[in-house]
Amino acid sequence: MILAFSASNVVVWIVWLAAAFACLGSAVAVISFTNPFYSALALIGNLGSLAVMYLLLSAEFVAAAQVLVYAGAVVVMFLFVIAYVGPRRETPWSGGPGWQTVGAVAAAGALLVEIVVVVGMQASGSLSHETKVGAEFGTPAWIGRIFLVDHLFAFEITSVVLLIAAMGGVILGSHTRRAT
Amino acid sequence: MLGPDVAWYVALSGVLFGIGALGVLIRRNTLVVLLSLELMLNAGNLSLIALSRHFHNGAGQIFALAVMAVAASEVCVGLGLVVALNRRNLSLDVDTLSELRG
Amino acid sequence: MTGMTYGSWLCLLAPLAGTILILLGGSWLPRKFAAWTATTSVFVAFAGAIWAFLGVHSVHQSVCLGTAPCGSRGELTTAWTWLAVGHFSVPLQLLVDPLSTMMMLIVSGVGGLIVLYSIGYMEGDDEERRYFAYIAFFVFSMLMLVEGGNLLLLLVGWGLVGLSSYLLIGFWHDRPSAVAAAKKAFVMNAFGDATMALAFFIIIAHTSSLSFGTLNVQFSSTQSNLIALGLLGGAVAKSAQIPLQTWLPDAMEGPTPVSALIHAATMVTAGVYLIARTHPIFEQARTIELIAAGIGALTLLVAGLIALVQTDIKRVIAYSTMSQIGYMFLGVGVGGYANGMFHLMTHAFFKALLFMTAGLAIHALAGEQDIRNMRGLGKVMPFTKWCFLAGALALVGIPPFAGFFSKDPIIASTLDIGWYGYVFYACGLIGAFLTGLYTFRLWFLVFPGEPGPFVREHYHDHHGREGAWTMLVPVGILTVLATIGGWIQFPPHWDPITKWLAPVAPSLPDAIASSTQETVTSIVSVVIGLTGIAVAWAVYSERKIAIPAVPSVRRVLENKFYFDWLYERIFYVPAVETGNFLGREFEQPVVLQTGPDLGEGTLATGGLVRRIQTGLLRTYVLFIAAGAAAIVLAFLIAK
Repeated sequence: MILAFSASNVVVWIVWLAAAFACLGSAVAVISFTNPFYSALALIGNLGSLAVMYLLLSAEFVAAAQVLVYAGAVVVMFLFVIAYVGPRRETPWSGGPGWQTVGAVAAAGALLVEIVVVVGMQASGSLSHETKVGAEFGTPAWIGRIFLVDHLFAFEITSVVLLIAAMGGVILGSHTRRAT
Repeated sequence: MLGPDVAWYVALSGVLFGIGALGVLIRRNTLVVLLSLELMLNAGNLSLIALSRHFHNGAGQIFALAVMAVAASEVCVGLGLVVALNRRNLSLDVDTLSELRG
Repeated sequence: MTGMTYGSWLCLLAPLAGTILILLGGSWLPRKFAAWTATTSVFVAFAGAIWAFLGVHSVHQSVCLGTAPCGSRGELTTAWTWLAVGHFSVPLQLLVDPLSTMMMLIVSGVGGLIVLYSIGYMEGDDEERRYFAYIAFFVFSMLMLVEGGNLLLLLVGWGLVGLSSYLLIGFWHDRPSAVAAAKKAFVMNAFGDATMALAFFIIIAHTSSLSFGTLNVQFSSTQSNLIALGLLGGAVAKSAQIPLQTWLPDAMEGPTPVSALIHAATMVTAGVYLIARTHPIFEQARTIELIAAGIGALTLLVAGLIALVQTDIKRVIAYSTMSQIGYMFLGVGVGGYANGMFHLMTHAFFKALLFMTAGLAIHALAGEQDIRNMRGLGKVMPFTKWCFLAGALALVGIPPFAGFFSKDPIIASTLDIGWYGYVFYACGLIGAFLTGLYTFRLWFLVFPGEPGPFVREHYHDHHGREGAWTMLVPVGILTVLATIGGWIQFPPHWDPITKWLAPVAPSLPDAIASSTQETVTSIVSVVIGLTGIAVAWAVYSERKIAIPAVPSVRRVLENKFYFDWLYERIFYVPAVETGNFLGREFEQPVVLQTGPDLGEGTLATGGLVRRIQTGLLRTYVLFIAAGAAAIVLAFLIAK
């Protein structure tokens, strides 16, 4: 829509790079801060950068949902609970058996490398051809129509999941019954 | 399309996923673990959206919205657990919650 | 089946039926019932033997037995084919011919009398029923041995008598000496069994058959020598000849009826029967046959010498048995099969008689067997004294008692076979002197004179008689047989036994002595025997001459010529050392330790694996992540 007719490729690239750096930087911040409150705040930054990238990908509705649902509800829940639980500081890289940290870095690094390699290999393959999308791709109306026509089942199941989670949350958070 | 190819987005999502996995593996505070989990889910979302754009398939965006809903419910339950633990004055340290020990 | 084959099956199976009946009855069976069952079954076997004998007697014409030589006047009766492998087959068959019926009569007749005797002897023993089951089983085994229609069935009987002997020697199993003696007998017999088996292998390899007729086939010189040597090994082991004789004196640990039946009358004579039965192969390997005669001559001297210093009454009689079997080996070794078998028969009579009268003495003195304590027993046990005297005179060979008629032809038959024949002749005569000496040493030390202190104190009679009637009657019958049993053959004047056995085991011409040789030998041996008796009287009864005191000789004799000492060092000690060595070096570290090692290894591995169960959530997530990484890697590589 709007972004599809932006001025030049360079602007998009600059936006993308900025969003990417923000994303990765805030991700590293999430896992590095000792105070969980700061970690949650860093997550907001991450979510915002992701929303920007969604916009670059012509997924306006999803971007809006990302900001409203994730940043607006989920992270707020986190902040509430962190405030309720109180200050707990603990340093990363500590505790556990010796091989734990080494194994963790190795596993995460392996996953990372592999995904990049896969993508690199795919890039010359099926990810190489250009695609054009229509103007209404990613609009709310379009999403809505798909939700209720093609993927109605997913829509309904998702609502059931949300209901169950809400019940679960209530039960878990309720006061324990005293034995009478 | 303008800007980087889809491959860049997917690579970025992979790196984000790795960072989230690292966070899950090395942090001991339950809340931070849950936050890292959110990072991994978001990485998956990014990948879905990007490929949906590439293959001109709306199912990717639908799936991403479903993932968001599920992530929200999972956080709800997880935080409920944290609150319950806190109310019983149990430690939130993941290493301490080790009843299933060999 | 004709009459004689019915008789032979009855003879064989009756004692087996007795054994099975006693075994099945177990402790529900009254003791006397078990005893009389065994006795009756052996007497039924005797009836069957008589039936078979009459059947063979009535067959005037000769009958061909297939591969056996025509004219053997016998019949093979087959139950079914037992083994069949390619060209080699062994039917379950019994042979009824003159030689086997003669042995059947001896075994079942003398055996029946001895089993009757043991009713009285074993009365009150705790395990009486087991005894009677074993002894009936022995009679069955011995009959199988003599009735077996081919070499394999003979070997079956051979092994079974070895087993019965082991069971009966070790009957009083709470005595360690009895158990050791049983083991010794069995192991030495096993050596003989092995050599016999090797001989059989050669026969099978050459002829693919184990029937008695195959022995007539012409073997090569090496083969026939080896076969005969193997058979001789078995005979020497079973009959307790040098060098495998050390088990027989120890076998006296068994009850006295067992000694009488197995180790005097029947089992130990099986070697003589074997040589007579397989004489064709021995005649092909004449050297080995003469070696058998030489072994017999040597044994009769050695055993006679050792018997001079024994103080146990049963051991004196055991060495006497060894010596007399030496005579039998001498007889069949030079080719006089009828002589050897005749002496086997008379020996069964008088040796069983001697053992049974000794048993009467032992029983009356509550188990005492040392002759130095038995002085003057004849005064209180006259019946025993006269019966023993009859047996002793038969043993020495004084006419008209049985031994005279059977022993002298053997000695005389050695004269015509060459220079070694003269050596054997001399041995035979010296043996006659020794026989007189040791036998009457025994008689003079035990029976005449006033009862000594031991006898006065320990003698107890059995309700006024010297023993139960079950013990006295067989002794009486055997006394009569020992007296008149020899009258059936007096070569060269009348010889029904030689004629009886001629179709089956014709004596070699060299072994038949001329009448002058016979007469001279008879007179000389009687004189020598009487000299031996006179010397014994002078030394032991009247004390006119002192026993010559040569300590070195005495020591050699008392140590039984050091055979036991030698065998212990050659065989027993190395075996024990090897066993200990293997146990220490191999069994303990490798075999026994394997179990605990496996357990410890499993535990150690489990301990290692346990370390991944840290209980930490993060560890489990790590494993998930690592697993995912590995799977992606696998996909990458596969693509």
